[in-house]
Amino acid sequence: MISVKNIYKNFGDVAVLHGVSCEIERGERVVIVGPSGSGKSTLLRCMNLLETPTYGEVWLDGKLITEPDPYLHFDVIRASETYQSVLAGIKAGAPAASEEAAETEAIRKIKAEDLLKKHEGKAYDALLKKIYADNFIDVNLARRKMGMVFQHFNLFGNLTVLQNLTLAPTQLGLQTKEQAEARALELLERIGLSDKRDVYPSKLSGGQKQRIAIVRALAMNPEVMLFDEPTSALDPEMVGEVLDLIRQLAEDGMTMVIVTHEMGFAREVGTRVLFVNEGKIKEENTPSEFFEHPRDARLKEFLSKVL
Amino acid sequence: MKFFSDVAQCFTNEKYFSALLEGLKLTLAISVGAAIIGLFLGTLVALVRLSSGKSRWMKIPRAVCNVYLVVIRGTPMALQLFIMAFIIFAIRGFPKIITAILAFGINSGAYVAENIRAGILSVDIGQTEAGRALGLTQGITMRKIIIPQAIKNVIPAIGNELIALIKETSIVSMIGMFDLTAAAQNIGSGHNLASYLGPMTVAALFYLVIVYALTFAIKQIERRLRSGDKR
Ligand SMILES: Nc1ncnc2c1ncn2[C@@H]1O[C@H](COP(=O)(O)OP(=O)(O)OP(=O)(O)O)[C@@H](O)[C@H]1O
Ligand SMILES: [Mg+2]
Repeated sequence: MISVKNIYKNFGDVAVLHGVSCEIERGERVVIVGPSGSGKSTLLRCMNLLETPTYGEVWLDGKLITEPDPYLHFDVIRASETYQSVLAGIKAGAPAASEEAAETEAIRKIKAEDLLKKHEGKAYDALLKKIYADNFIDVNLARRKMGMVFQHFNLFGNLTVLQNLTLAPTQLGLQTKEQAEARALELLERIGLSDKRDVYPSKLSGGQKQRIAIVRALAMNPEVMLFDEPTSALDPEMVGEVLDLIRQLAEDGMTMVIVTHEMGFAREVGTRVLFVNEGKIKEENTPSEFFEHPRDARLKEFLSKVL
Repeated sequence: MKFFSDVAQCFTNEKYFSALLEGLKLTLAISVGAAIIGLFLGTLVALVRLSSGKSRWMKIPRAVCNVYLVVIRGTPMALQLFIMAFIIFAIRGFPKIITAILAFGINSGAYVAENIRAGILSVDIGQTEAGRALGLTQGITMRKIIIPQAIKNVIPAIGNELIALIKETSIVSMIGMFDLTAAAQNIGSGHNLASYLGPMTVAALFYLVIVYALTFAIKQIERRLRSGDKR
């Protein structure tokens, strides 16, 4: 349902992601692990566009949420005059090569030298506009389907627990105040915090805050949940209650992407594990294969440190 | 003692007392009018400066706001008042009070804008991210989450700005307006009391009372916001 296509992310001169692609299917629970600073959070935040990828595309349920990236659409490249001239040049240079090889080489060259931007004017813009018009979905609409849970909870400090849960559904006109409150109370009941409905977040423990942050996301009835190290800011005795709640969501069949340093939990809950290192996905596998038979050298080293 | 009798005269002499009262009214009218414009303009400028749109549509207003801040904060208030009175509104019969309210309001707006901007930036970025991640627009996130939290941080600075504004209005006598300060000066001049000390002391007391009352009110608001401190 989430499709990340060849994204790059630079912060100024620092390249944090170098061409990451991955597919998150409905019902999957994908766990992302990797060393600190490797780009895990950035990758997750690119999925709901809290960070805008520098290049590449992110799709949600077949709808594009980033700006179209011309180099991911070969039909756009092929339709350009630049392509025709580059292809002709390559064919003239090496007449023996097959048609197919020449085409591949032409696309590679155009990509590598960013020739489309340099040579094509209006026609190129028009093609991009068309891709955009055919596929684009407003990011605010897309985000309604993707719940996000942050390391530092980020509960709204000026609102009570109940208001934290009802704000988005009511403000976006998805539910009436009564509907939203009924749903919020049901969710609070589920995590055993109904008595905190009128309390402000500052009065809660870390574990309570994070569980409320999770149900705040659930109040929007999302189709996928993104977790960015949901237990890293918690005191050890509170980690369990938060992991239990995530486990329950897993049992309910929620699609999830989880960045975590809790390897035991990753193995238990994940259906697939990705290893991110230096801005790339270096390995991906089922949890048992991933932890028992790691192939990548850096992953072996990483696992030996954290397990 | 002449000083005490002068002070007493400021209150008992019908002519002096009504002059002081008229001056006080003008001072308050300019201050309140300018404060309203300043708060409105300051909020607007702060929001424009914080807007993140990359389009040309937002670039031009942002540039205008930047120039506004640099010019207003980089030149003396008296000069701004003169430009308003003797150049922009140099129209016979144009009400001076409007000139003064605009001049002080526009000046105050620049300082208020910077206070509000700092207040908004002091709210944790995570609050914005959480709002946007739920699918809320930038506008709703601002109105419902960020601004309510920023207000608490901004009230003290805005209070100081209002106090500075009230005191600063005393320069309107330079464009021939009779505010509280000018009234006191007139009463003390040669063809009236022929002594400045009494009337000036009375004017000072008036300013002190206003500033004290305002300080008290702001403290109360701050306390209320903090006692309901929800974080
Ligand atoms: N807004 C930003 N501006 C500049 N650099 C950033 C920004 N966000 C992240 N980075 C840099 O990008 C790199 C990857 O960051 P990221 O937060 O994605 O790592 P991570 O894998 O989540 O690490 P951790 O396990 O510590 O959370 C880091 O070197 C970080 O300093
Ligand atoms: Mg991180």
